[in-house]
Amino acid sequence: MLNEQPYWNPVIETLSREKLRSLQLKKFKAIFKWAYENSRFHRSLYDEAGIKPEDIRSLADVRHVPKVEKSMMQRIQRKDPFPYGDALCVPLEDVTEYRQTSGTTGQPVYQPDTWQDWEWWSECWAYILWAQGYRPSDRVFLPFGYNIFVAFWAAHYAAEKLGCEVIPGGVLDTQARILKIQELKATALMATPTYILGMAATANNKMGIEPASLGITKITCAGEPGASIPSTKKRMEAAWNAKVYDHAGATEIGAWSYECTAQPLGTHVNEAFFLVEIEDIDTGDIIEEPGRRGKMIITALDRIAQPCVRFDSKDVIEWDSGSCDCGRTFRIIKGGVVGRADDITKVKGVLLAPSAIEEVVRSIEGLGDEFEVIVDKLGDVDRIKLKVELAPGFEDKAKEIEPRLKDQLRLKTNLGYRIEIYDYGSLPRYDVKAKRFKDLRDKH
Amino acid sequence: MSTNLDVNAVDKKIQSIRQIASELKEIGRECPALDRNLVRLSASIKMLELNFSDVASLDA
Ligand SMILES: [Zn+2]
Repeated sequence: MLNEQPYWNPVIETLSREKLRSLQLKKFKAIFKWAYENSRFHRSLYDEAGIKPEDIRSLADVRHVPKVEKSMMQRIQRKDPFPYGDALCVPLEDVTEYRQTSGTTGQPVYQPDTWQDWEWWSECWAYILWAQGYRPSDRVFLPFGYNIFVAFWAAHYAAEKLGCEVIPGGVLDTQARILKIQELKATALMATPTYILGMAATANNKMGIEPASLGITKITCAGEPGASIPSTKKRMEAAWNAKVYDHAGATEIGAWSYECTAQPLGTHVNEAFFLVEIEDIDTGDIIEEPGRRGKMIITALDRIAQPCVRFDSKDVIEWDSGSCDCGRTFRIIKGGVVGRADDITKVKGVLLAPSAIEEVVRSIEGLGDEFEVIVDKLGDVDRIKLKVELAPGFEDKAKEIEPRLKDQLRLKTNLGYRIEIYDYGSLPRYDVKAKRFKDLRDKH
Repeated sequence: MSTNLDVNAVDKKIQSIRQIASELKEIGRECPALDRNLVRLSASIKMLELNFSDVASLDA
């Protein structure tokens, strides 16, 4: 009976929209008050803006609360209570977990959690995994470096909470991981899209093992948009003969969004645990309606050690207009996280998201999974170069593939490209997260 | 499949566990095995509250 229940929590996941909004308001008031009363950083931010907990009477009032940016956290940290500084809301001795952000820009942000916060992290992940069909009979293999980055740590604890058997696949190299999956007959896997495709290539090309034969039935992705890019999802599903599901989360936020087994071409926001707002990048207005992209401002409604209140995540998202066949009342963001506001750049005056190029490259039969985009300037004119590889077996098809690629790129991104086609294996490979987009324009 | 769970009845039971855990925490201050395990128990109770009590309180 339990295993047939499609929802981790049928009470919350089918709550009426009206009640969900009431729950969000009630929780926002509580976490705002908590941050105001316990964090010197938050109190001075809010005092400066002239806003107090009692000023929040409706969800419309929430947008008057100042946003918190990563750079603000970077500035207040490495001070007492060391290393977290003034945003820490609990005694240092109550902190049981340390993680840090993995971004490449500047000082990492240190993230403290109490044991309750850590339970909350795995509770968020329990919603995700149950919605993606994980059940106690699953044997889950986690091929990630168990270290200072949160990555799939909370997924590990959540899978245990569900009753799954969890195999920690840290430290092992890719081939050893594939052999372990084979030996133990693992049924589920979690990794970045780059690593899922890389593992499949290693199994196929270096080990003579067909990944589709390994018995993996579901894969949960994170860290990159790939699992919500239809052509990349299709490649992963075909390689592993498994269902591939997306999820979104971040060190400073938590695991806030997930795809369900209905695969609605988007991810549900866990609106009982998070308040997501979408802000117009140019005007700063809050976008309520579907179909308009903006950047996400998010509040984790129950995280206490270092609160996440109206955090400017820079993730670019948009609301979907439809409901989902799964019956959840949590809203869907269309196509998951499309990219980062920092990555979406203007080339020749046209807005370009690297994920749009990925969608085209991976939709063309005969091209390998890897590619590289280089934007530079010749005089005052932007130029964009795309390097791709021919997949094994398509070595003599470059002349046929190139015009198709150019047409699709023009159609999907409104830009012209200089295409360079290479033999399979020529472009750089990435282990975890890929860096396929290079903007060299500032260097001229 | 939805649910016939009576959220208010579930909340009542959760609150009685919360009460007992608080009493135990009070008497266990000098005993690590009691105090530290109750921190964990308390976090688990909190998860039950997030899942059920918070919804029950919407009707209150
Ligand atoms: Zn759904």
